[in-house]
Amino acid sequence: MILDNLQSLRFFYPELVLIVAMLVVVISDIAFKRLRNLLNPVLTIAALLLALYFTVELNSAPATNLFQGMLALDSFAQYFKVFLLLAAVLVVMGSLDAKELSQVHQGEFFVLLLGVTVGMILMANSVHLAMLYLSLELVSLTSYIMVGYLKNDPLSNEASMKYILFGAISTGSMLYGFSLIYGMTGSLSLYAIRDVFLNQGVHGFNEFTVILILVLTLAGFGFKTAAVPFHFWCPDVYAGAPTPVTAFLSVAPKAAGFAILVRFLFSGMTQASGSQWGLVSGINWPPVLIGISVLTMTLGNIAALTQNNLKRMLAYSSIAHAGYIMMGCVVLTGEGLKAMLIYIFVYLFMNLGAFLVVTIIYNSDMTFDVNDYNGMFKRSPFLATAMTVFMLSLIGIPPFAGFLGKLFIFGAVIDKGLFWFAVVGTLNAAVAAFYYMRVVRAMIIEEGNGNLSPLNISLLNQALLVALVIPNIILIVFWNPIDRWTASSVKLFNGL
Amino acid sequence: MHVSDIIFVIVGFVTVGSAAVVVLSRSLIYSAFALLFTFFGVAIIYVFLGADFLAAAQVLIYVGGILVLLLFGVMLTHRLYNLNLRTETFQIIPGILISFAVFVSLSLVATHTQWHRVPEKPLMPTTDTIGTLFMTEYLLPFEIASILLLTALIGAAMLVRRRTDV
Amino acid sequence: MITLHHYLLISAALFSFGILGVLTRKNAVNVLMGIELILNAANINLVAFSRYSSSGFDGQIFATFVIAVAASEVAVALAIVVTMYRLLKTVNLDQADSLKR
Repeated sequence: MILDNLQSLRFFYPELVLIVAMLVVVISDIAFKRLRNLLNPVLTIAALLLALYFTVELNSAPATNLFQGMLALDSFAQYFKVFLLLAAVLVVMGSLDAKELSQVHQGEFFVLLLGVTVGMILMANSVHLAMLYLSLELVSLTSYIMVGYLKNDPLSNEASMKYILFGAISTGSMLYGFSLIYGMTGSLSLYAIRDVFLNQGVHGFNEFTVILILVLTLAGFGFKTAAVPFHFWCPDVYAGAPTPVTAFLSVAPKAAGFAILVRFLFSGMTQASGSQWGLVSGINWPPVLIGISVLTMTLGNIAALTQNNLKRMLAYSSIAHAGYIMMGCVVLTGEGLKAMLIYIFVYLFMNLGAFLVVTIIYNSDMTFDVNDYNGMFKRSPFLATAMTVFMLSLIGIPPFAGFLGKLFIFGAVIDKGLFWFAVVGTLNAAVAAFYYMRVVRAMIIEEGNGNLSPLNISLLNQALLVALVIPNIILIVFWNPIDRWTASSVKLFNGL
Repeated sequence: MHVSDIIFVIVGFVTVGSAAVVVLSRSLIYSAFALLFTFFGVAIIYVFLGADFLAAAQVLIYVGGILVLLLFGVMLTHRLYNLNLRTETFQIIPGILISFAVFVSLSLVATHTQWHRVPEKPLMPTTDTIGTLFMTEYLLPFEIASILLLTALIGAAMLVRRRTDV
Repeated sequence: MITLHHYLLISAALFSFGILGVLTRKNAVNVLMGIELILNAANINLVAFSRYSSSGFDGQIFATFVIAVAASEVAVALAIVVTMYRLLKTVNLDQADSLKR
C-alpha cells in the first residue's frame, strides 16, 4: 500500500530522530563550550541507539510504500537500517580515542556522521530515482567532507580532492544514465520502470541503449562500492583520511551501495516469480556483473600483496571483498541475496576490528607501516591476538566468521551451477591469505625494533576490541539467528 | 522554417561552442566566461522546452551562484600579482579519443532509440504546478535536499575557517 | 522543426565536452567546470524527456534537485580546493601526488 505524507511520518521515526539529533548537536556544540567533548558523543550515540530502537520497532509493520512512492519500507530495507545504525555506533565509539581526530574540533564530525547515516538509511529505502540520487549525493557530500576533515594535513586534503572529483564524475554519469531511463520509460519510479520494460520489452536498438544505461549507472554504483573499474579513488582516499573515517567508509557506504545496486537491478530490471528472478528480455546484466566481480576480486587481492602501508592494504582488501559480495547478486536467487547480506554482516566486524587495531597502534607509535608492527605480540599480547582473529576472519578460515560469509556466497554460486566462479573466488581467497598473514607474522613472529614498552590501550578501545572479537568467534556457532534474519529480509523482495 | 527554429540553432551552437571553449581554452578566465555563455544557453533551451521556472532557477543559481563561486575559486587560488592564469593539460590525445567515442555512442543512442512518447502537451506556465508537486508528491526529496544543503554548508564552512581551536 | 533528437544531441555534445574537460585538465577548478557541463547535460536530458516522454513534470522537478545538489557540490569542492591552495600553494592536480609514495 502507498501512504501519503502525513501517514508516512509514523514510519519515519528513525530518520527524524537522526535529523533532530543533527540540529541538537550543532546547537549544543556552540552553546555548551565546556561540556562539548562529553556532550557531542553522548548525544550522537544516544540518537543512534534511539533510532535503532525505532527501527527494530518498525519490524512489525507491513511492507508499505512511504511518502507517495518515494521510499519502500520492507524487510530488505530494515536489514540495512539496523546494519548501518550498528556500524555508525561502532565507528563513533572507535573515533573517541583516535589521536588523529583529537587535535581538530570534533563537533562537526558528529553532525556529519549523523548526516551520512540519514543518507545511507534513505539509500537503502529508496525506490524512486530522484530519492536515490538525492540520498546518494547526501552520503557522498558528507563523506567528502569527513575525508578532508584534517584541514592541516596535506594527505587528508589530497584524499578528499581526489574523492570529490572522482565521485562527482561518477555520480554525474550515473545521473545521465538515469535521464536515459526516464526517456525510455517515462517514469522515475523503479516499479513503473520495471513494468514498462516488462510490458514493452526491449527490442532492436534499445538493447544497446540499455547496455549504455547499465554502464553509466554502474559508474555511480560501482563508485560507491569501489568496484573495478571505478575503484581508483579507494586506496588514496583510505590512506589519506583519518582512520575512523576510513573504517566507516569501508563498511557503511559500501553496504549502502550494495543495497541500491540490488534494489535497482532487482526492483527495476528483473521480474520476480516466486523466489527466483528472471531477466527481462534484452536486459542481460548478470554477465556484466560477473565480469566486474572477477576483476574486482583479482585486482584487489593482487594489488594488496605489495602494500606496506596498512591502510592502503586494507583498502585493496576491501575492494576484493566487494568483489566477493557481488558474487551473491549475479545468481538471481534468494540464496544469493541472503549470502550477500550474511557476508556484509560478518564483514562489518572483521573490517572494523582491523581498522580499530590500526588506530590503536597509530595512537602510540604514529605509524601505519607493517614493518613497524614487528614484535607487537611482546608489547601487547591482547592486541596481537585480536588482530590475528581479524586477519584470519578476513581470509575466511574456519572457525571464524569470515568463513561463514564465504561459505554462503560460494554455496549460492555453486547451487546455481557456476563452478568456475566459485573456483575463482577460492583462488582469490588463497592469494589473499598471503598479505593478511604478513601482518600476523610481523606481529607475532618477527622480532621487534627494540621498543619493548607495553602498548597503552585505552579502556574504551579495549572494550571495543572485545566487542568486535567476540562476534568473529561465536558467529560460526550461533549462525542460525543470522540465517533466519537475512532469509526473512530477502523473502519480501518481490516488491509491491 | 520558423524564426524560433533559427534562434534555436543559434542558441545550440553558442551553447556547444562555449562548452568547447570551457574545455579547450588555455586561459582560465576565458573558460569561466565561456561557462557563463553555456549556462545562459542551457537556460534558453529550457525556455524552448516550456520549463520557465527551471530556466529562471538555472540563471539564478548557476550563473548567479555557481559561476560566481567558480570565479572566486579561480581568483583565490592564484597569486594576485602573477596573473598568469594559463592552464596546462594532461595528454590531450587519449582524452579526445575517449570523449569522441562517448559522443558517437550517445548520439547513436539519441537518434536511434525508441523513446517513450506521449502526446505533446501545450506550453504553459509551470511554476504553479511545480510548487504544488514540491509540497505533495515530492515533499520528502524536498526536505532531504534541505538536509543536504545544511550539511554541505556546515562542512564547507568548517573546512575553510581559519581558527583552529574552535 | 525542432524535435526531441536535437535536444538530445546538444546534451550529448555537452556531456562529451564535460568528459574531455575532466580527463585532460590539470587545474582543479577547470575539472569542476567540466563536471558542471556533465550535470547540465543530464539536466537538459531530464527536461527534454519531461516534455516529450512523460505526462507529468517529474523530469523538471528532478532537474531542480540536481541544480541544488550541483550548487552544494561546487561549494564543498571549492572549500577543498581553497584548503589545497593553502597547504600546497598550487591547485594543479599533478602536483598532488604524495599519497602514492
